[in-house]
Amino acid sequence: MAEASPRQDLLAFMRSPVAEAAPDAFEALALRVFAWQYAHNEPYAAFCRRRGLTPDRVAHWTAIPAVPTQAFKALPLITAGGSGEAAGEAALFRTSGTTQGRERRGEHHVSDPALYHASLLPTFAAYLLPDGARQPMCSLVPPAADVPDSSLAHMVDRVMAACGVPGGGVYVDGAGRLDRAGLEARLAEHVAAGTPVCLLGTSLALLRWLEELDAAGRSFALPAGSRLMDTGGYKGNEREVSEAALRRTYGRVLGLPADHCVNEYGMTELLSQYYDDVLRRRVLGGAGPPAGPRPKAGPPWLRALAADPDTLAPLPPGEEGILRHVDLANLGSVAAVQTEDVGVVLADGRILLKGRLASAEPRGCSRAMDQLLDAARGT
Amino acid sequence: MSVFEAWHLPGLEPDHVEEWRERVLPDGVRLRWPWLRAGAMRELAGRVAAAREALDGVPVVEIIGAVNRVAARLVDPADPLRAEAAALLPAVTGFHPAMVTLVLDRMAAEWRTPALERLLQAELGGAAALDGFVALPGGRRARAFGPRLALHVFAGNVPGVAVTSLIRVLLVRGASVGKTAAGEPVLPVLFARALATEHAALGDALAVTYWPGGEGPAEQEALAAADVAVGYGNAAAMAALRRAAPPGARLVEHGPRVSVGIVGPGALTDPARAETVAREAARAIAVVDQQGCVSPQALLVVDGCPVTPLAFTRALAAAFEQLEETLPRGGLEPGEAAAVHRLRNEAEFRAIAGAPVEIFAAPGTAWTVVLDATGELRASCLNRFVTVHPVASVRAAVVRLTPLAAALQTVAVAGAEELEAAAAALGRLGATRVTSFRAAPWPPGHGLHDGRGPLRELVRWTELEDGS
Repeated sequence: MAEASPRQDLLAFMRSPVAEAAPDAFEALALRVFAWQYAHNEPYAAFCRRRGLTPDRVAHWTAIPAVPTQAFKALPLITAGGSGEAAGEAALFRTSGTTQGRERRGEHHVSDPALYHASLLPTFAAYLLPDGARQPMCSLVPPAADVPDSSLAHMVDRVMAACGVPGGGVYVDGAGRLDRAGLEARLAEHVAAGTPVCLLGTSLALLRWLEELDAAGRSFALPAGSRLMDTGGYKGNEREVSEAALRRTYGRVLGLPADHCVNEYGMTELLSQYYDDVLRRRVLGGAGPPAGPRPKAGPPWLRALAADPDTLAPLPPGEEGILRHVDLANLGSVAAVQTEDVGVVLADGRILLKGRLASAEPRGCSRAMDQLLDAARGT
Repeated sequence: MSVFEAWHLPGLEPDHVEEWRERVLPDGVRLRWPWLRAGAMRELAGRVAAAREALDGVPVVEIIGAVNRVAARLVDPADPLRAEAAALLPAVTGFHPAMVTLVLDRMAAEWRTPALERLLQAELGGAAALDGFVALPGGRRARAFGPRLALHVFAGNVPGVAVTSLIRVLLVRGASVGKTAAGEPVLPVLFARALATEHAALGDALAVTYWPGGEGPAEQEALAAADVAVGYGNAAAMAALRRAAPPGARLVEHGPRVSVGIVGPGALTDPARAETVAREAARAIAVVDQQGCVSPQALLVVDGCPVTPLAFTRALAAAFEQLEETLPRGGLEPGEAAAVHRLRNEAEFRAIAGAPVEIFAAPGTAWTVVLDATGELRASCLNRFVTVHPVASVRAAVVRLTPLAAALQTVAVAGAEELEAAAAALGRLGATRVTSFRAAPWPPGHGLHDGRGPLRELVRWTELEDGS
């Protein structure tokens, strides 16, 4: 019997306030999403059958077969018919694919942008705008029109359109060039007027700009209430800066308090995102940011578990492993995604990121075969 | 908490060491070694090279005897030296204790008197060529001399290879400075220390310790003093050694190598014979968890025989499952486990996309066998991951290996109808050793190494001409 698409119930779930969602709702919906994807996504169904994990044998969300992020490079992970009744113009997001040159880039087909937006906007609002603030948004992420396959650019574009107020803009072009003069003039206006602003960017773009500012002996004291969202855009780059060092720079050069600097953790393969919950906690509960690493929280339709790197079996909360996400906003592709990000899932569901698995360089002389075969392929 | 002094440095006074470095093993044992500055390394290299002069009066048979006594201790279960090696190596290498025991036994057997005598015979016609001038075939009269000082840069993948390297230089009366690998800084030190107690002059001609490869003035000083540099490791390590070696120094390179296996019709007619070959192939792959240069990384199995590639693959999988009981795979770093999953995933995605690919694997990462009939050669991530490639014939198998030519080392062959023809084709391609699956993981000590004579490339000859 063909089950109905869980889309409408999922949208209703996403409309409930982020903090007040019933925990059971996730469980039931996750299993429905799995059954729907098993029925309508043949490569994924084949992946599940190979593991003997069919919907009738999966009783808990942690047992839903998770495709490795690698699968987005190799298989067309499209749940046919999308979510049943897609709305909006379909998008195709690609991973940046910078770490391993010869590899294909991962592709995430988004046939139902309405569902994507229904996930990303309330989550952003919950963690960046928990006080209901409406601020001009200045972005250091290239405009979505110039990089249509960037999920980050798309997300920032939607956030600015939905949550921003006039007075902001995009200050990086499609080639990644920063319009420093424009950005700094705009910030100076807001400082003069006492208008709080929201900055959005990759950690790398922000760092490069702030180093230039710093070198020029300039700084801003952004008006109280100003905030910043950065995301791990420097991962795998030549620059590796600790989050804490970066936040000190935000404080020194922009005048932003640490609890107004919110780090986002997202990936092309997931349509929902995690954020530091420091600002949200500050606004709602008054607690300051933790001294150590910051836990990240996501919306109620996104859950994580840590898996054993060897067996891929789920680990109990508190144990370090490789993170697996079940993101119900991925209704149109595959909800359960196994990453190579190392982390811990806390008892309350928040996650602590510990970095990525070191790439394996076996002892001795073994990479030779890999390299010779690559050379023979002419890659 | 116990400390293992991971160095053997004749003349070094621990009290005078300015700086120590340490590493704590997973079982809590601390490894400690001195941080040698340029000046200290220069003095050390000079001391060891000077100590070598005392060996000029030592007959080779005496050197063999001392090495043999240390080797005997290393295989004697009641000897504390053996116990120390067996206790430290699993923690330091990650290999299962059963693997360490097996490797110690097999490696040390090549350090016993008969093996060393056979090596000298094969390489130099016997020890006499080192003890005096001898008549050589063709009417020459000559004597062989070893290096004044050899610098060895060891790799950590196979315990014992470093010791073999030190022994080769000792046999030709050379002194050595050995730089241990981070992955195995124990056995060469234990060997050198034990040798020093057996024969003080030999111990004084050996220095073994750790420093990070390619790092700074210490390595440069050691290289500057050496007339032979022996390197083991990947292409980058070899290139670094070549760049840093002084002009005139002889380089003995054991760079990256790939080994494979071919199963021909003769092994695929009778199911019982095929099972035996599958067991031997699995064992050849399992030894040192496939990290040796001689470990087969891919298998090419001739199709169209009574035992199909699929049946052979199943037998191979069964053999790996059994080996998990008797010779378990060592623990993996999370990144190594991820590499196994990544390769499995790639194979699985090919299968899902309809390609003729089948995967047999342990529940964890302990072993993986992929049958891949797509016609493309697949790499291994090691740690007991092998792809079986069906091929039309042994000849087709050799052609399939063409991309590996530049680095081909051992080819294990079973059931080839015309073995010599196959070996010749493999030799033309670049293979340096054609052998059985049973012998593949254990190259004989008297054999060629990467196709070259291991003592011949260490010595120089002095010819004494008629009428002098």
